[in-house]
Amino acid sequence: MQPVDHATVVAEDVSKVFFSGGEPVWALENFSLTIEPGSFTCIVGPSGCGKSTFLRILGGLEERTVGEVTMSGADHPVPAAFVFQEHGVFPWMNVLDNVAFGLRMSGEGTRERHGIAMDWLRRVRLESFASSYPHQLSGGMRQRVAIARAFATGSPVLLMDEPLGALDAQTRMLMQEELIALWEQERKTVLMVTHDIDEAIILSDRVIVMSGRPGTVREDIAVPFERPRSFDIERSPEFGELRSRIWNLLREDVRSAEETA
Amino acid sequence: MSFTDRTSTGSTGSAGSAGADGESADRTSTSRTTTERTDADRARTESTPADREQRTLVAARAQRARDRRLRTRDLVLSIAAPIVLLVLWEVCARLLIIDPRFFPAPTTILAALGEMLASGELWEHAGPTLLRLLVGGGLGASAGIVVGLLMGSSRALNAAFGPLFSALYPLPKIAIFPILLMIFGPTELPKIIAVFITTFFVMQIATVSGVWAIDRKLLEAGTAYGATGFARFRFVVLPGAMPFVFSGLKTATGTAVVVVTAVEFTGASTTGLGYLIWNSWQLFIPEKLYVGLLVIGIIGAVLTTLLSRSEKLLLPWRRG
Repeated sequence: MQPVDHATVVAEDVSKVFFSGGEPVWALENFSLTIEPGSFTCIVGPSGCGKSTFLRILGGLEERTVGEVTMSGADHPVPAAFVFQEHGVFPWMNVLDNVAFGLRMSGEGTRERHGIAMDWLRRVRLESFASSYPHQLSGGMRQRVAIARAFATGSPVLLMDEPLGALDAQTRMLMQEELIALWEQERKTVLMVTHDIDEAIILSDRVIVMSGRPGTVREDIAVPFERPRSFDIERSPEFGELRSRIWNLLREDVRSAEETA
Repeated sequence: MSFTDRTSTGSTGSAGSAGADGESADRTSTSRTTTERTDADRARTESTPADREQRTLVAARAQRARDRRLRTRDLVLSIAAPIVLLVLWEVCARLLIIDPRFFPAPTTILAALGEMLASGELWEHAGPTLLRLLVGGGLGASAGIVVGLLMGSSRALNAAFGPLFSALYPLPKIAIFPILLMIFGPTELPKIIAVFITTFFVMQIATVSGVWAIDRKLLEAGTAYGATGFARFRFVVLPGAMPFVFSGLKTATGTAVVVVTAVEFTGASTTGLGYLIWNSWQLFIPEKLYVGLLVIGIIGAVLTTLLSRSEKLLLPWRRG
């Protein structure tokens, strides 16, 4: 196994402004964030606060208006591997080719990329579906394909945009457990956007709470629970305290986002 | 599978009938003494689990049999109805209920078909029509798909040619035919070009819509995983547009058959199924007219079926 090269993500004073009619809309205002190598960070915030926009700027899917973004893994063929909420896997490729896609784009040979992809399929327990097409899988299985595809690139940074957001509650809990286990083995630098406070606490080392539009950092909270983690932490009083602290930070913004929408 | 199924049915079958007896005994025992009723009750509880499962299975099988019967009936009806109509046509034509000069009996048409096949006359007309369809349509579709893909993925190209093509599209292509005749003379070329233009426009528009219909998430996934330039085109844009391309091909086939027939109707042609139909009308040979109609219909149906088959084969991810 090669040594895992971790990465630091630094964003400085990133702003994103677009025009709606004649009016400028500030999606992000002077957003700064530094992410430690090998850490799992979650961003929570009211809808429309620009959390997804920030992630997409990091992933190169959207232009920033002003600001600086640096990623120490930028020399990797895939500087940051993206996991979308749903419909992100190619319906015209079978599961194996989907997982191997990033490797194929970075010029890996057939045998090697299929070897790595099969290995990742085994780790997400989908090896028997290697030649199936995505429409033959359940929603949870498709997201496991998407997650395996991101890990398989070997990219030091993973950006996840509500990767479990479209799943039903029970599948979601299962996937959270699997994601913790996978990440604890790999220790990639992960930045994940979610609207689920519990999910943020269970998965991450650090929760960034964002304010409503224009999006800025409202609070930066360290999550104290030991690794490896299990769902047992949900029963601890610290968990409840943390959850209500985050909710109190969010409540007003969520309400006003709800009313202006 | 079905064997074990059947044996298990047999073994529980006897238990089932015993249970049914117990139940009827229970029903008649309402006026009897308590001891007798508890006996009957006990008999029923003992046979209940197997009995109930058995009854449920019987009901489920009956349901399945009913569904199958209905499906078979639909299939029989769909085959029988056209046959009945044909027979009716035959009988009416023979009994002169309908005028056989306008509606020759199906057997008369078939006889004419056989004769024309034997003399080679049919191929003289079907051959050129097929050639025009395949050459004009094949080239037109290829060009339309390529231009559509380019316009779908290049904003500048689409801005330049999109409005122009949209303006040209509603022009009835057949109306251009005299211009083509004027330029190229009464040769094979203007007929092929007429088919080419028809398929080109249908395919160009279908392909552009196909590219635009690709889920934005998938294009972004391509970008996020490093697919740029030709790789993006080959692995994301091309397969993503394929469903629209195939439905466009089916539309284009129908339109091309219409245009080729119309072009052959004109005096500029002395071959082709369109000419056969037109000429048979002028000479008043109704059987041949119907043969032409039949063959052109078969050509259209075969082409469309081939396209559907190859779609299933080439786009396995759309199946199911």
